[in-house]
Amino acid sequence: MLWIAVHLPQLSLESLAATLDPAWQGRPLALIDAHRITQADARAAALGVQAGAKRATALALASDLVLGEADAARDAQALQALGHAALAFTPMVCLETTDSSGAPAPVVLLEVQHSLRCFGGLPALLRQLRHALRPLGHRCRIASAPTALGAALLSRWRDDLMHGAHVTDLAALRRLLDDAPVWLLGPGREHWEALQGMGLKQLSDLRHLPRAGLARRFGPALLADLDRARGDAPDPREPIALPPTFEQRIELFTRADNAEQLMAGARVLIARLLAWARARHARVAAFTLRMHHEERRDAVSHSELAIGLAEASADAAHLQALLGERLARTPLVAPALELSLLCDALLQAGLPNGELFATRRNEREGLTRLIERLQARLGADGVQRLTLRADHRPERAMAWQPADTKPAMPDKTQPAGAVSSSHPASLPTRPLWLLNEPQPLPEQAARPCLEGAPLQLLAGPERIESGWWDGALAARDYFIARAHDGALVWIFRGRLPLADVPEGSGWFLQGRFA
Amino acid sequence: MYSILVNPSPTLAKRPSASAASDAMAPLKVPPITPPGGGARTAAVWPDPLALHALWRAHQLSTASHATTASGFAALDAELPGGGWPHRVLTELLLPHPGLGELRLLVPALARIAAGTQPDGGRSVMLFDPPAALCGPALTQLGLDAQQLLVVHGREGVRATAGLRRLLPSADLLWALEQALKSGHVGVALAWLPPRVKADALRRLQLAAQAHDGPAFLFREVDARLKPSAAPLRLLLQSAGVDRLSVRVLKRRGAPLAHPLPIGLPPVLSERLRARARAEPAAGAVQRAEASSIAD
Repeated sequence: MLWIAVHLPQLSLESLAATLDPAWQGRPLALIDAHRITQADARAAALGVQAGAKRATALALASDLVLGEADAARDAQALQALGHAALAFTPMVCLETTDSSGAPAPVVLLEVQHSLRCFGGLPALLRQLRHALRPLGHRCRIASAPTALGAALLSRWRDDLMHGAHVTDLAALRRLLDDAPVWLLGPGREHWEALQGMGLKQLSDLRHLPRAGLARRFGPALLADLDRARGDAPDPREPIALPPTFEQRIELFTRADNAEQLMAGARVLIARLLAWARARHARVAAFTLRMHHEERRDAVSHSELAIGLAEASADAAHLQALLGERLARTPLVAPALELSLLCDALLQAGLPNGELFATRRNEREGLTRLIERLQARLGADGVQRLTLRADHRPERAMAWQPADTKPAMPDKTQPAGAVSSSHPASLPTRPLWLLNEPQPLPEQAARPCLEGAPLQLLAGPERIESGWWDGALAARDYFIARAHDGALVWIFRGRLPLADVPEGSGWFLQGRFA
Repeated sequence: MYSILVNPSPTLAKRPSASAASDAMAPLKVPPITPPGGGARTAAVWPDPLALHALWRAHQLSTASHATTASGFAALDAELPGGGWPHRVLTELLLPHPGLGELRLLVPALARIAAGTQPDGGRSVMLFDPPAALCGPALTQLGLDAQQLLVVHGREGVRATAGLRRLLPSADLLWALEQALKSGHVGVALAWLPPRVKADALRRLQLAAQAHDGPAFLFREVDARLKPSAAPLRLLLQSAGVDRLSVRVLKRRGAPLAHPLPIGLPPVLSERLRARARAEPAAGAVQRAEASSIAD
């Protein structure tokens, strides 16, 4: 059995920092409880704010200090995200939020004996574990030992206990634990003053005393912990269960009025979502961001933004970009107080192979992602594809539809040049540019004029009379004409009287031979 | 102790011996220096530096360091550096008004890119804010695969009014073009920019185009020819008759081209009609044309 323990010494501070406005990123941060500082971050500590100081003292030392209260639920959610990230390495992951006496000591425990071979040894596994935990943005202290409680104690004690003989050898662990201070154990911390008064500073001191006396004096919990840490007593643990859907809520420190503040909170939630998705060995196909607004009589309580991905992805940058573009486009109904992210659409499939050179598949996927990004900003109608229809009327011979982000598979039944190569001469000439609406042309001496100069008709007429079945009858004679500068244009003359057809019987410009 | 000169010849190359005395006494008859490991070539052992692209003379066209796509018109290819439309850089085409025939100039290159070299290898053609709708049957006639076509409009583009000009928020258009160029998955990009684009926007697009494996075309107004631009290839297009285009190369990597190039476009009219159009003057007899061709 080989246990890795990941201790988070500043979990409360970091989970508070995740809810802050991005504009407050550089300010010192401290946790406060009933007007006394309980924990200060590095910046505040550099300015002299210490645990136990009064609120006024702290504010005098650092005038832009941000004070917040620790929230157990928020910390538990952050710890759960870390547990999910660790589930990618082993199914046996346990979370500990407090030590046995109730003081906060957040630790994530992983049992990795059977995963060592898969990940290529302990150092490689530790490296990959650190890499997986980095996006969540917490400072971690990692230690490993043959027993769970032993690993937890070592991780809370020092930062350099990942390698060495004690990792696999129980005797070496016991020797190391002999030098560990007594306050690491929960009951030891409770009775720390009494123990110190008796001269018991290290765990070896405790071992040399009679067990019955210690149990009577300090309670059986102290001995139980000591035995479990040294491996003398069994220590069964329950692994955490992975929820089938993802739902996490984050309460923002200040009201969020604009997209940047929302994105700062959403970034944290997306990192947690991806940790959960990776633990399930799947990729995210769709997710919903729900913004909870203030309670007002006339306003809605929450608004939702659903993002669906054409191609399931586990890339944090891509999801953030999509969400950012949609947020920038959506007007915010009211300031948001809380954000929650929901996801139950996953794609259980292997990751695509990353290839060094660009291949067809890479390119199609890349094009799909590009179209998704463009449509997130410009709207679904922003990117369109062409479909041909069988109709003689030129403006209806084709339709523009929003690109549905399915890559254009080449139509193998009909090669591209089939139509033109089979009957090249029988196809009528069509201009490359077609105007959306035919532009009426003024007439001068019975000749149509474009931009003031008369047009010279060169070819024609081509008569198109079609469309009586859907009410848009088009009876036209098409001509190819030359403008004054030599460009060719496609004009037509309507043949029906003015009353019957909107375009009447004048000259109209339909297209240009670009 | 070798020194390699720009114009090496066996008589000027240094001998491998070291002592100065022997240099002074022995006659200047040195064996030609053979490259290490080679003895098969005894004459002309050094490759021509001109062919190595190590030397460029001012009258030459630049040997393009990037790939090019042949434009399909031999007269134009001869004047473009690299023999075609350059990849990974912007190409500017300046027009007095859209609809001159500029698409017919590009369509052979577009068709080749859309078809691709392998059977499954067609790449996409993206158009950014074209001034009018493209006609599908016309594309098929010219050999362009309409399935590879993608058109990007700005936010107000779809609800535009009739006519050839549209007012669009240009920030969205430039952003979309930059994203497409940077992604590197688009085959070729054509963009119709609004008038008076800022110079640093063009520079930014040129930087983004370095990641784009294909040609990128920008269509701008003729007034832009007096303003500097970051694009290394700029062409001014003017109509020179029916199905003919006069191309003036304003800027290219190499010597400037003094005279405009006449290019014959893929024809719209048949030979007979074109001959007749050339024979008749522009403001010619429309009644004659109408009377002969219209049977009412």
